[in-house]
Amino acid sequence: MSKLRPILLVEDNPRDLELTLAALERSRLANEVITVRDGVEALDYLYYRGEFSDREKGHPAVVLLDLKLPRVDGLEVLERVKRDPELRAIPVVMLTASREEADLIRSYHAGVNAYVVKPVDFKEFLEAVRDLGVFWAVLNEPPPGAVRPSFRRFATGE
Amino acid sequence: MSDSLPVTDADLASCDREPIHIPGSIQPHGVLLCLDPATLEVLQVSKNIAELLGIEPGAAIGKPLRVLMPGLERDLSALPGVRDGPPQYLNQVELCGKRFDALAHRSPGGIVLELEVCESGAEFRLANLYAPLEQFLASSRAPDMSPAQLSATAAAIIAEVTGFDRVLVYQFDSEWNGNVIAEYGNGRLPSYLGLRFPASDIPSQARELYRKNRIRIISDVDYTPVPLEPLENPLTGGPLDLSFSVLRSVSPVHLEYMRNMGTAASMSFSLLRDRELWGLICCHNREPKRAGFQQRSVCDLLAQILSLELAALERSSEAQHLLALEAIQSRLLRAMAASSRFHYALAGAAEDLLGLTNATGAAILHDGELLRVGETPAEEQIFLIADFLQQRGQPEVFSTHALASLLPEAENFRETAAGLLAISLSKLHRNYLMWFRPERIRTIAWGGDPSKIAVYADGARRLSPRKSFEAWSEMVRLQSDPWRRSEITAATELRNAVVGIVFRRAEELAQLNAELERSNRELEAFSYSVSHDLRAPLRHIAGYAELLSDDSGAQLSGNGRRYLAIIRDSVEFAGKLVDNLLHFSRLGRNRLVIEPVNLNEIVHGVREGLQMEMGDRRVQWKIQTLPEVKGDAILLGLVWRNLISNALKFTRNRPVAQIEIGWNATQREAVFFIRDNGVGFDMQFASKLFGVFERLHRMDQFEGTGIGLANVRRIIERHGGRTWAEAEVDKGATFYFSLPIQSVTSLSSGGDESRA
Repeated sequence: MSKLRPILLVEDNPRDLELTLAALERSRLANEVITVRDGVEALDYLYYRGEFSDREKGHPAVVLLDLKLPRVDGLEVLERVKRDPELRAIPVVMLTASREEADLIRSYHAGVNAYVVKPVDFKEFLEAVRDLGVFWAVLNEPPPGAVRPSFRRFATGE
Repeated sequence: MSDSLPVTDADLASCDREPIHIPGSIQPHGVLLCLDPATLEVLQVSKNIAELLGIEPGAAIGKPLRVLMPGLERDLSALPGVRDGPPQYLNQVELCGKRFDALAHRSPGGIVLELEVCESGAEFRLANLYAPLEQFLASSRAPDMSPAQLSATAAAIIAEVTGFDRVLVYQFDSEWNGNVIAEYGNGRLPSYLGLRFPASDIPSQARELYRKNRIRIISDVDYTPVPLEPLENPLTGGPLDLSFSVLRSVSPVHLEYMRNMGTAASMSFSLLRDRELWGLICCHNREPKRAGFQQRSVCDLLAQILSLELAALERSSEAQHLLALEAIQSRLLRAMAASSRFHYALAGAAEDLLGLTNATGAAILHDGELLRVGETPAEEQIFLIADFLQQRGQPEVFSTHALASLLPEAENFRETAAGLLAISLSKLHRNYLMWFRPERIRTIAWGGDPSKIAVYADGARRLSPRKSFEAWSEMVRLQSDPWRRSEITAATELRNAVVGIVFRRAEELAQLNAELERSNRELEAFSYSVSHDLRAPLRHIAGYAELLSDDSGAQLSGNGRRYLAIIRDSVEFAGKLVDNLLHFSRLGRNRLVIEPVNLNEIVHGVREGLQMEMGDRRVQWKIQTLPEVKGDAILLGLVWRNLISNALKFTRNRPVAQIEIGWNATQREAVFFIRDNGVGFDMQFASKLFGVFERLHRMDQFEGTGIGLANVRRIIERHGGRTWAEAEVDKGATFYFSLPIQSVTSLSSGGDESRA
């Protein structure tokens, strides 16, 4: 496999950020993890703007996106990405605390690739992050379209 | 009884059109002169001026009055100023050795001067007339005087004043039939007391004349009418209007009527109420007879006092009745105001509801629901009445005492509803409050067979009144007692109140709905915030505890590691609580997906799913075949999952768990149950059982967050059913839930399924 593309993690809560990073670290993914703290920064990264104006060209392997974000929220970032033909192919995983059906429905309408409600239990969270990472950051060529194999299978197959 | 006569049938209707106010002739007991108002020259004169005053009619025409009757200027000085309407008394005058009462009034054809021959020996002095009036006024002040008693007193006094053989007080009903409500007689003429006379006896134009002119006199039924000369009035070019003339000649049909009745003289006084004809006082004599002007005036005054007294009596009785009804009404209003469902409140106050209109039965039809009170027709018959009212355009208030005459089917339920009083409670819906009265078979005593009101006389084309006035009884069927005006008023007022309440309820409901929507939105916002904000710190505790355990677990003491484990367990439990709470709140909000649900499959599926938890426990199942119902499959699945897993949980200390599942149907609901032989519970806590986070057992005995049964209740309530439980400590428990019977769609096949 060629050089691994980075994972873009969008998370404003420092503790969730630390826990998610810890989880990613423990799933031993080789991908670089780029962290931004709100929707504006996430869009700056994707559109090479602001502090990311001279970053290396290329899309992230996956965007892990919190739903509730300051300034521009996660749903809006998702909708912008999925509306843009350039960015549409980037897998976006909603990583969120919300169990609200309305959010879930809106995310799927916008074209989210996966929707994960962060479990309270850290072990479950760890598993989810690992599955997601393996599927979207390592195995995701080409974009999966409608195919959504079970995460569990990939996880146990590791 | 009166001027003119008969006629009900169309071919007899000519009587109604007979122009009785312009007969062109007078009765012979006086002279009539019509004078030019400006010059007092004679325009018309009755031909009997020759006999009575020795003046040739032809010679009188065109002469001024002072030339014709010299020396009377002083006595008749008021003549030029007389007004129209009833005649004014001018004076007693003497002409040709005879005494006359001079009366005058203004008519369109000029000033009408009538000289009425005074009866010999009828010297009436004012003092003599004062006594009877005083007597009547005194008796009218007596307490508890009924209208009939008062009328009888008036009749007696009038008979005494006039000397007539029989005096009747005659009251019109709503159809203008006349009822004799009081009578005074000296026995020379038959009694008519209590008899009813058909409306056609006094045709409409006669009634109109009696309304305007309160007195009419026929002194001799066999009189020869005296024509006026000339017949045409020179000022109007037509016959002279004799509406207010005391000498006016009457219809020959009426004279025949009088002869058939056996009376030779009659006189009547109108009883008016609010300027409408209400009744008559009729005086009859077997022989010709005439009362003088003074006597007539006293009788007229007495008749007017009687009118006022009767009106006052009726008003006060009606007012007392209304007052009583108002008390009933205010009790009904209070009952309705205190209840959320006004129709139940009304039906609950049966005595007042019926008392309000003096009915024997009532029905309230409200949004398809029918409540019946007292004696009423059957349900389908009430719906028939509602249809009938619908067809009549849903009148706000409708009343009849003869429903069968409008709705022929009503004959079938005449024993409960021959009379109907109904109010419409809604413009849009078929909502009514109805009162019923049973049939009251009545006998009416007619003054002669009213179907033979008139007959043709001797093949002539002229109509002739009936010959017999013998009482003739008629049975009236299919009618109730009529509704009183005050009862209809009370019903109308109740309608306004009910409509007001219904309207206010609708507004309150709309407001409540708006508040509910708002609180629902708030709840959503709340659960959203719980979802995010409460779970986040829990997640952090769990996450960092995990990291701490991974990174430094080895360095912790044994106690430290135990503390950390407790933190992790507690936070996990807290997470579950939060998730369950969110789940519970969503149960109440998400839309139900209603479809046919096979409960057997569901119970079977739940049991399969719980197999793991059961391990190697011995469970004896006894499961009846359950029906197919309409409901939300996922949520009903959750109900059974909760109930079955509870049953398993609380029987786990039993060597052999016994779990029985079944159902039965009542008229209104299907009741499902699950019975176990587990630890049960104390019934005094039964009310807490279905509350959120209520637990009846210690956590270390039986685990759980206490949300399961709250979920069951919420799901069942959203399906329109109920939940309850029965138990005894250590003797097992039975949990019940019901669904409306309408939701049972079929009894699924598949025999009883039991296994040990």
